[in-house]
Formats: sequence, structure tokens, C-alpha cells
Amino acid sequence: MNEPAAGCEFVAEAPADLASAEFSSLYAENSRAIYYLALRFLGDPQKAEDATHDVFLKAFRKLDQFRGEASLRTWLYRIAINHCQNLRQAWHDRHMFSNADDAVWENAAAGTDSPLRVLEIKELGQRIQKTLDGLSDEYRLLLLLVADEELSYEQVGALVGQSPDAVRGKLHRARKTFAALFVKTA
Amino acid sequence: MKQQTKLSEQQQQQHAAEQQTQQQSAREFANAEEMLRYDAAHTPVPPVIAQRLQKSTGGPTEPKTSWWKRLFGGTHP
Repeated sequence: MNEPAAGCEFVAEAPADLASAEFSSLYAENSRAIYYLALRFLGDPQKAEDATHDVFLKAFRKLDQFRGEASLRTWLYRIAINHCQNLRQAWHDRHMFSNADDAVWENAAAGTDSPLRVLEIKELGQRIQKTLDGLSDEYRLLLLLVADEELSYEQVGALVGQSPDAVRGKLHRARKTFAALFVKTA
Repeated sequence: MKQQTKLSEQQQQQHAAEQQTQQQSAREFANAEEMLRYDAAHTPVPPVIAQRLQKSTGGPTEPKTSWWKRLFGGTHP
């Protein structure tokens, strides 16, 4: 059977404070990636917020089951993908992409970007969301995962149930489709 | 003459500002992933998620200084 990777097995037996410290680190290093995946996959900031909370809560409760067969980032992505796909399947609703980035920025803490730059980023986000909405679930997920530089093609392939070669082939078509759709959002 | 110089400076500043605007809006990306990376880097995670998680995972596992306070710079009691 598979043995836990070195450094991972202590979590199940760790004192509560140590487990919380581990979880704090897990959240700090991965929350942006998981939230972004949920946001762009679901297309709704409130749902993305709920999904991110639920994903990390599941992770918190199942940290002792993490066996180190994959990276923690990949493990979290697997939880997030399953969660988001279940939500989409259950809801069968369509979101309003035009409101998505308004809500993200209304809820964001004040940053250092100028109003012009915030507007530019917000508009880009809206166009990206509109473009992703036009893609199949498969292409959308593929692009979002490949965009994470921490993931290899092998890891992306494992997450989407494809070989690395199949990932590369589909990625080429996903890029072309994305580019064609993105131009139309101007 | 001085007024002309002043106007010229204003025009130059306006021209520079317009150029900067054009450069910002003309951002180009090599592919979709690069655009998504840029978007992700500029998409903040709502702090309320950490607060909700703190409540959800609270109880006996709560450390002396909560992990979300350490993350977001909350004050110590």
C-alpha cells in the first residue's frame, strides 16, 4: 500500500495547535489558486467564496487522510474540482458575468492600484469570464489548471483524467478557442 | 512667452498621461494562460473566507492567536 510521504504523516497525530499552524500555512499558500479556480469556473463571486470555504473546510477535516501521493496543491485542486463540478451539476443555473467582477472589487480591500488600473483589471476580468463562459467545461478547467505554474502537465493530466500528451493536444485547441472568443468580447 | 512654455508643459504632461493610458490598455499576452495568470494575480481572495473558516474550524483546535488573524494582521488580545 502507499505510505504517507515523509513530513505528511505527522498531521494526523499532531497536537491541535500544530495542526492549525499547518492549516494556516496550507491556506496562505493555496487560497488564491483555489479561489481563482472557483471564481472563474463558477463565474459567481458569492458561490466562489462559499466553494473556497467548503473546500478548505473539507481539507481541514481530511488532512489526516492526505497520504502524500500528490502535492497538497494537487490534492486541494481535486477537492475543489469535484466540489465545483457538483455545484454546477446541481444548480443548472446561469450566472451574470457582468456582475461578477463588480462584486469581487467591491469586496476587495483597498489596494494600491490607481482607479484607472483597477478599471483595466476589472474590465479584463469581465472579458475573461465571458470568454470562459463560452468554453466547454473541459477546456475551461484545462486552461485554468495549466495557468497555474506550480502544476506540471502530468499533474494537470491526473486532475482531468487525461495523459500529458492529451493535455498538450487539447490545450492547443483550448487556446485557439479562447483567443477566438476573447476577441469577440471587445 | 512664459505662458506658451507653461502650456507646452501641460500639453506634454497630458500627452505623457495619454501615452501611459494607451500602454496600459494595450497590454498583450502570449496566450490564454498568461492572461489568466495576470488575472489571478490581481484577483484578491475575500478576507471573509478566512474569517468563516476560523468559525467553522473553531473550538478546541483554535490556537492562542487565531491563524486568520496572523494571516491578515489582526491585533493580539
